[in-house]
Parts: sequence; C-alpha cells; structure tokens
Amino acid sequence: MKIKIHPLVLLFSLVMFNLGHSQSLLESLEKEHEEASFPVQATFKATRIGLGQSVETRNQGGLEISANTRFWNIPEDTEAFVADRVTSRFGASYAFTDRFTLGAGVTTFDGIFDAFGKYRLIYQKTGKGSPISITLFQNASLKTNPGRSINQTDSFSEKLSFGTQLLLARKFTRNFSLQLSPTFIHRNSALSPEDPTNHFALGFGGRYRIGGHVSVTSEYYYLANPIESSNTFDAFSLGVNWELTDLMLQFYMTNSHNIADDVFITQTSNNFNTRDGNFFFGFSATILLHLKQNKVKGVK
Amino acid sequence: MNRFLLLLTLSLCQLCLGQSGERLITKQGQVSFFSHTSVEDIEATNNQVLSIVDFSSQHVAISMLMRAFVFKKALMQEHFNESYIESDIYPKCSFEGKILDLERPLPQEQTKLIKGNITIHGVSKELEIKTKIENNQDKISFSGTFNLTVADFRIKIPPIVAGNISKTIEVNFSFEEYLPYEN
Repeated sequence: MKIKIHPLVLLFSLVMFNLGHSQSLLESLEKEHEEASFPVQATFKATRIGLGQSVETRNQGGLEISANTRFWNIPEDTEAFVADRVTSRFGASYAFTDRFTLGAGVTTFDGIFDAFGKYRLIYQKTGKGSPISITLFQNASLKTNPGRSINQTDSFSEKLSFGTQLLLARKFTRNFSLQLSPTFIHRNSALSPEDPTNHFALGFGGRYRIGGHVSVTSEYYYLANPIESSNTFDAFSLGVNWELTDLMLQFYMTNSHNIADDVFITQTSNNFNTRDGNFFFGFSATILLHLKQNKVKGVK
Repeated sequence: MNRFLLLLTLSLCQLCLGQSGERLITKQGQVSFFSHTSVEDIEATNNQVLSIVDFSSQHVAISMLMRAFVFKKALMQEHFNESYIESDIYPKCSFEGKILDLERPLPQEQTKLIKGNITIHGVSKELEIKTKIENNQDKISFSGTFNLTVADFRIKIPPIVAGNISKTIEVNFSFEEYLPYEN
C-alpha cells in the first residue's frame, strides 16, 4: 500500500509543532486572565474637591474627621495677628457602606449647622463598564446667625436650606479628572420678597496630579439665579491637595468664606481677587480612620 | 519514504500534544506580602493568581493582577495602586522560571530552586526561589517564601512615608488545585 502525503500536510504539522513551542508558558498564561474590570480609584483624593463635594465616597467603615478653615483680612485697619477673621467647619462623616455616607458639621463664624447624605450610584470602571462615576448628594443647613444669613432667622423652619447635587465625574487620564455638578438649592425663606428661594447652579471641578501625592484642584460654581437684594458672586477656588498617608491636607485660595455646601453656592458676597476682604485662604485637614478593616489572611 | 514521513509527522504531533498533556494550571494561587516597620505593618493578599507548570520542560509561569491585592485598609490599597505599583500603567506582575534538578516522577515532597525572572512595576529581576513541591496523590502544590527589595523595582517612596514601608518585603506564595491545561 502506498500512502501519499501531500507536502502541505507535512508543512502544516511542522508549523503546528513550532507553534506549540514558540508560545511561551507566560504568553499562554496571560490569555487566561479574564477580562478584569475594577472601579477606577482616586478620581479625586478627598471627598471634597476644595469648596464642594467630590464624587468620592469612602469604603465601608471609613470615619472622616475634618476641619475646614478660612482666613481673611477685612478692609478696615486692624491689629490682628496673621489674619483678621477666621471661620472653621468641624465635621465628621461615616461610610455605612461603600456607597452610602452620612455626615454633619458646624461652622463657627456663620453659626451654621449642616448635615448631609451621599450615595454613590455608579463607579467608573477600568475595563468594561461605566465611563463615568455618579454620586447623589443631599444636604440640609440651619443658619442660626441673623447678621450673616440670606435666610430669615425668626423660626426654625425659616433658617433651613436644602441642597441637592448630582455629581458626575470622570478620570480621563491617570493625572486628570473632571467633575460636573448640577445643583438645586431650596431655601425655606428669603430676606427680601424679590429674592428667589429656589436656585439652580452648575459646578465645575478639576484635579490634576503633579506628583506622587500632590495635586492641583480647582472649582467653579455658576449660579444661574442669584439673589436680587444684594450682590453675590460665583464661588471659585484654586488650590493644592497634599496627601500624607491617612491625612489629607488641602490649601486653596477662594472668594468664599462659607463652607457648608448650599451656602457657599448662594451667598458668596465677594469677587475673586487679592484685595483684603475678598481674598480667603482656605486650609482643610481631613483624617480618615478605618473603623472596619478588610480581613487579610496571609499565606503561611 | 512516505511511510517514514507519516511516522515523523505523527510523532511530531504526538510530541506537541504530549507537551500540553504535562501542563498544569491553577487560577486560585495565593500570594501575600508583608512589610514590617516599627511604625506599621502592611499586609496584602491576592487569591486570584494564575500559574502554569510544565513538568516536561520544568518551566513555570505565574501572572497576577495587582488590583486584586486586598489590604486591611482601603486607603493603603489605593496608595499601593496609585502611587507605588502604578497598576494603571503596570497592571500585572509576572514570573517565568525553570525548576532546577526536578526529581521525576514527583516524590511526595521535594524542595528545589526555581530560577527565573520576576517582573514588577515594569522592571525585571533575576531571582532564585526556594520552593517546596508537593505531590499528594497527584495533587500538586507549590509553596515558599522569598524577599524582594523595594528599591530594585523603581518604586518611589516619598521620604515622609519612608518609615512606614519596609525596604525588603516578604512574599509568601501557595499554589494548589492544579488542573490539566488544554490550550
């Protein structure tokens, strides 16, 4: 019996043989990685960009304790040391789940108590998945100081304001993130009948990382319908974030001395420039404590 | 002549089939690392490490995703990925090596050196890892410990946190549940 082997068959088998060998073990292993997709980390490094909220929420068990301060000089001649005026918001927030955070704070100068809830709707993913992150934010503030509020302060209900935000952010590159924050604010009362009590605003925020643990951040809030009875300006900030392990330090220049979220958007009474009375130096320190830690079982 | 060619073809095919027949793969390998300093201990584990062993050529390959490491603190995990390992640029860590003086058929336990290259943070380094190879009724497992020097892999640690991260990191690994690999 004569068997004919076509030269092509021979060639084919030789090629097969070669393929089997030219593909290294590592190459065949890399193919086994299922298409992994992880939530994008560090769109912003802190839960506040500077003035306002960022899309970030802390993982379950994260307790954040923060002190946000603003220092400024007033146009009158004073003999004050370093700065004429200072205001601070002392706050705490706790992440009940990876997505849901509740927090509260008190601001000294304006006598404002505020509380907020934040819910992370969507995470931006590295592979397949959403190209943006979305977080819902809702706060309520109680303005107790009559001289420094654009609300009436006669009854409890008049002192209240509510801010609702949809935070949309995307980390475009490893260094660059942007956020858009459509905002609706309702105030329970107004000082003058001509003032609106419902405000619409749009926030723009950005982060650019300049070094391992340092980034530049900026924020601008456009207020579509400001109050009529006095002159207000859109809030702006430009600053630096510096991260030291569990501690986040934020330094910024801004034109707003208000810190509670709905307040700085609606009642920033100064334009952004370096004149006394208009220039505010902001400093925030936020420490993150992990009250609930992941269980890590090392290989022994 | 033609019969000879047929025989040759068949035996070549046999050879490459036979090769893959001796390949074993696991997808649930465990790798953990540990950094101890007086300031803090840092530990992380990855339970989704891939590994292939080819006993006929004595070659071993390992690959893992850096994002799959779980740390005690979420912030540590973020710093590890964002600032140190830069997993957005270098998502994987891999190792390729050869078992030296492998005893076959596999005894119940043998400890051998595996010599090869580890690639972390885009930097390759030659390494010899002492590995315990166990064969428990055809259940194969690899395990061992070795140390890595952080500075070898171009990982930048700012001076302010230098005290928190050890200069040498202890790595432990354990690969079990190997299954035949068909490619």
